[in-house]
Amino acid sequence: MADDIKPRIRVPQNPKKGEVIEIKTLITHPMESGQRKDAAGQTVPRSIVNALNVTYNGKPVFAAKLEPAISANPYMSFFLRVEESGTLAFEWKDDEGKSHKSEQKITLAA
Amino acid sequence: MMHPINVAEKSDVGFARIPEGETDVRPGFVGFTTRGFLAAVICVATLAAASAQTPPAPIVVDGPAHQAPWVRYRDWSQTTWPTYNTLSERTRTPVATGKPIDIVGEIAGDPKKGQDLAFARSRGGGCLACHVMGPASQETPGNAGPDLSEIGSAGRPDSYLYNYIHDPRHLNAASSMPPWGAHGFYNDEEIRHMVAFLKTLKTPARFRSALDDPEKRPKPVEDRDALDPFVNPAVDRIDAGRALFAKAGPGGKSCVSCHADEKKFAGWAVTMPRWEPRMKKMLGVEEFIFRHASATTGEDYRMQSTGNTDLSVFLHSLSNGLPINVDISSADAKPVYDLGKTLFETKIGQFNFSCGDCHDPNRGGNKWLRGQFVGESKGQLDHFPLWRTSRGAGQVWDVRKRLQWCNVQVRADVLPPDVPEYDALELYLKAQSQGYKLTAPNIRH
Repeated sequence: MADDIKPRIRVPQNPKKGEVIEIKTLITHPMESGQRKDAAGQTVPRSIVNALNVTYNGKPVFAAKLEPAISANPYMSFFLRVEESGTLAFEWKDDEGKSHKSEQKITLAA
Repeated sequence: MMHPINVAEKSDVGFARIPEGETDVRPGFVGFTTRGFLAAVICVATLAAASAQTPPAPIVVDGPAHQAPWVRYRDWSQTTWPTYNTLSERTRTPVATGKPIDIVGEIAGDPKKGQDLAFARSRGGGCLACHVMGPASQETPGNAGPDLSEIGSAGRPDSYLYNYIHDPRHLNAASSMPPWGAHGFYNDEEIRHMVAFLKTLKTPARFRSALDDPEKRPKPVEDRDALDPFVNPAVDRIDAGRALFAKAGPGGKSCVSCHADEKKFAGWAVTMPRWEPRMKKMLGVEEFIFRHASATTGEDYRMQSTGNTDLSVFLHSLSNGLPINVDISSADAKPVYDLGKTLFETKIGQFNFSCGDCHDPNRGGNKWLRGQFVGESKGQLDHFPLWRTSRGAGQVWDVRKRLQWCNVQVRADVLPPDVPEYDALELYLKAQSQGYKLTAPNIRH
């Protein structure tokens, strides 16, 4: 399943300095809870995205710990006050120890 | 075993006939190893720009396009209704005798028991699904049928009320109402209680708000941005389908090997279903995907498998914004369209509903079944496949699955998705959306 994982980020373009903007993110992931059994009656091993860390210009701005009860393709949004142009960096970590990264630049309106 | 059509034999544009000995013998598979050149040449323009000169796309004509044997989805009702019509078995349902049941004198029933029966959802949805029933209608009632709030002072004899519930076909051939008694939903005693209840209905309904009143309730509008992946999880399936499109099958070739430019599919899905002379039937997008992929890449994309639906979403999305434009007038298409029209008016299932009973705007269409809005048949096929929100997260349905679902809802046995009856119904319904612009995948309740 790991090759299906695809992060999406949505960030408003050209916010004003000091504006509070909504950041939306969605990652395509099955979020296998570890509770389910397959057709043969075997437990399907847990495989979830368990953490999201977001930094802006290297400084942490948002972090979340995800649990098995969270749905497939988790969608999160949060608000951020932007004082400077920069790069919003997302990093998700999964149960396999892999990390999925994605970045989005924010440029303040002139 | 499935036999691929030999494209060279069927084409009339001068391809060399392939010597017998070179035919790939694997089932369901046109081998690229021996015929790579031919396949590559033929595939160039088959789908996107079908014209009289273009050779037909290779397809596997034999065998079902679905998992065989066909089984109903595990999370659907597993009840079967062998004594009632289906879309293919149209003479199963017992014909109404034409004779009302003799009721002598006044019916003695318990109005309270009758009200409980009429309001209960457990047996076919209850009367409130379609009728407003006076001030006691505590739940959001529907209006697909007439308002019965004052039926008790309408001067109907008991035998009329009894027979209308038991089997309305005796009294009103145009009625859409199920034969509640004749089809075994309620027994004689229960109908007597319901008649007693109807006789107590003498005052108009009062509603606390416009939302409770089916005549004033605003029609729901689906105005979400269906193509925003943050709104519609089915949008992810476009990329999943595109990945499958580029994925090599057992023969080493992918769809992209022949169809390098996906833009050429713009305008294809909106013309399906289309007549397939080699099979003497219509093929919708989903059946075509299976039959064509089986004959070319060798990948097995059975109808309603995840892969098939993903490819269907992807291929439909390439025609987004283009008007539905199906052929219903050619000599081949016309009879299929006519069959679709017949099937739309064919009563099926224990409920004895035709599609038109609920989806014709002169009957149940654009009205309410309890709190659920029933759309008219027009404009329904410009948005499939879609995310069906009421069936859980991430459920993406093609149109055949939706038709099958409808069949189960009227308590008729479902048919496998590739039967000619669904071809015909899909064509007829798609023709109702002729000119409407496609937006797929979409969102519906």
